[in-house]
Amino acid sequence: MAISNMKDLVASDLSPYDAVYLGNLYCRDYEANFLEKLDDLRAGIRHCREAGCKVYLTTYAAPRNYFLPQIRKAIAVAAEEGVDAVEAHNLGVVRILRNEFPALSIHIGGFANVYTDTGALVLRDYGGTRVTPNYELSLEEIEGMAHSTSLPLEILVHGKMPLGISDYCFLLEYEKAWGMQCPDLCQQDLFLRQGDWAMKSTGKGVLSGRDVCMLEYLPRLVAGGFRFFRIEAVSEDPAYRRDIGMVYREALEQACSSAYEIREAWWQKIQAHAKVGLCNGFYFGQSGQLYIGNQQSAVGNQLKVIS
Amino acid sequence: MIELLVPAGSIEMVKAAVDNGANALYVGPKGWSRRRDAYELTDEALREAVRIAHARGAKVRAAVNTHPASSELSTLLKRMEVWVGDGIDGVILSDVGVMAAVHRAFPLITIHASIGANILNDEDIRWYREIGVSQVVADTKLSLKELRVRREIEVGVEVLIHANNCYTYLGKCWMSPYHRLERSQDETGKDQFKGSPNRGGLDYRVCLEAWSLWRGNQDLWADRVALKNDAFFLLDDIPHLIDMGVRTLKVQGREYALDLIGRMVKFYRDLIDAYTADPQAFDLHPWTVRLAEIQAQRDLERAKGTLHLFEEARQPVGTCCQ
Repeated sequence: MAISNMKDLVASDLSPYDAVYLGNLYCRDYEANFLEKLDDLRAGIRHCREAGCKVYLTTYAAPRNYFLPQIRKAIAVAAEEGVDAVEAHNLGVVRILRNEFPALSIHIGGFANVYTDTGALVLRDYGGTRVTPNYELSLEEIEGMAHSTSLPLEILVHGKMPLGISDYCFLLEYEKAWGMQCPDLCQQDLFLRQGDWAMKSTGKGVLSGRDVCMLEYLPRLVAGGFRFFRIEAVSEDPAYRRDIGMVYREALEQACSSAYEIREAWWQKIQAHAKVGLCNGFYFGQSGQLYIGNQQSAVGNQLKVIS
Repeated sequence: MIELLVPAGSIEMVKAAVDNGANALYVGPKGWSRRRDAYELTDEALREAVRIAHARGAKVRAAVNTHPASSELSTLLKRMEVWVGDGIDGVILSDVGVMAAVHRAFPLITIHASIGANILNDEDIRWYREIGVSQVVADTKLSLKELRVRREIEVGVEVLIHANNCYTYLGKCWMSPYHRLERSQDETGKDQFKGSPNRGGLDYRVCLEAWSLWRGNQDLWADRVALKNDAFFLLDDIPHLIDMGVRTLKVQGREYALDLIGRMVKFYRDLIDAYTADPQAFDLHPWTVRLAEIQAQRDLERAKGTLHLFEEARQPVGTCCQ
């Protein structure tokens, strides 16, 4: 799970989670972004440790030259505080980590476009210790990558799947019309809709409208040897992080032990937080917005009706 | 001498490109490039393209700039043997795994990192340089200032002088397949990944749809939101790019009509020649007028294409074809 700033970190119950990514990878102007507020970053790292979590720093997904000095500073602080790893989505940042911070573990993020097994191996040779395969890969392809590279892979199991990143925040055009400014604008839970299509927008970030939900497939993932599961809740509120985290904590315990049976209460919690429904992303080789699983009748494949 | 690189989606376009003064052209081998296959070339056509281009002193690059499935890599390397044997001068790639594999198997072939690799900073360029890339396409969002620094790194920089500037960073976007993805194999067994620009090449341009903006699922905040998406034609910058030592100026648009491609190539050829012949006397004004006409025709063609793609994106998977 990723958290952008201190305010959100303090308000979030970390108990369901083993690890937290600190920082907002989309925007330098995101309110008190850990990547810009380095005192907060220090305090945030300690806060996570005290809560018993591993703590990772994430970095900007699309860094231009003029971002790099700040990225170096943030990594230096993270290194001093002894973070467990730094996530890089940009290969230039991977190079900085390998050359300038050789002691740090590197997680290769979802925007780094690891689409092929060979690509994963190239990044392993550059110091990558964990890889998030590109979201467009099917589960079958991901299982193949795990098998042929032996690299630990990180899997998005729930939440809004990243779909794109821009250097331009179109929400700023509406500051006057809405009487609201940056950095509040992008935190308003905004959805772009067209007919029955929907995407979540954070201004520069585009995410899936529907929540990716892999609850039905946890036993397959666990049996397949996957051990790093991510809930993408960077644009969600603390209640979402707590409820979805607890559902997956309980579900994972079951998936690791005995017979796996999805509890009705889990579905209720998940559906209550999924504003425009659920999907399976690209895991089953189909359009990302579709839900493929057995619970299709329960979750519905239609966009929720706007009341 | 700066290189003018232009697209060729058919043999006729190859001829138009060399006739109008292109120094190099890029073609997509069927199934493997970042365009739909109507604008790609069969092996036979690719061989013919190389023959025509080489006879006129122009180079040919094969654009293999989608991310294949891992299971397709061995097929790709076999196909690459054919294209290299046919005399291509370079290959344009996006996937770091493919770059490494191609560099290993064909150490002498020049590798160009595609716009799809989304190279944004100097450390990025160094990284690609280290895995065997000799020329990189700069992202369309970079400023002249950002491009200037790159002279210190021993790498060729390629700049798009005429292309579309997406709302998102190119290569870091899978909005299109989120809405519609169709997995189907062509006759050679290559998955087309229709709807995924990164994997298959066809992009439904869903970002250009008429989106409305809602807060949660209750409040309508804006009726029609335009996600900034501009076509751009660099003109004023071209003299600066030439002075800066940019190695290649690249024109985009394999899908445009033949006469439009011909006009665009001729325009940029004449412009580059006029500037390099006498930089002091160069006057931009007449070029602005001439470009406006080309731009109007290009915008019209693109708008038609976009409407067609919107329609196709709404078709249930399995019901529609090329």
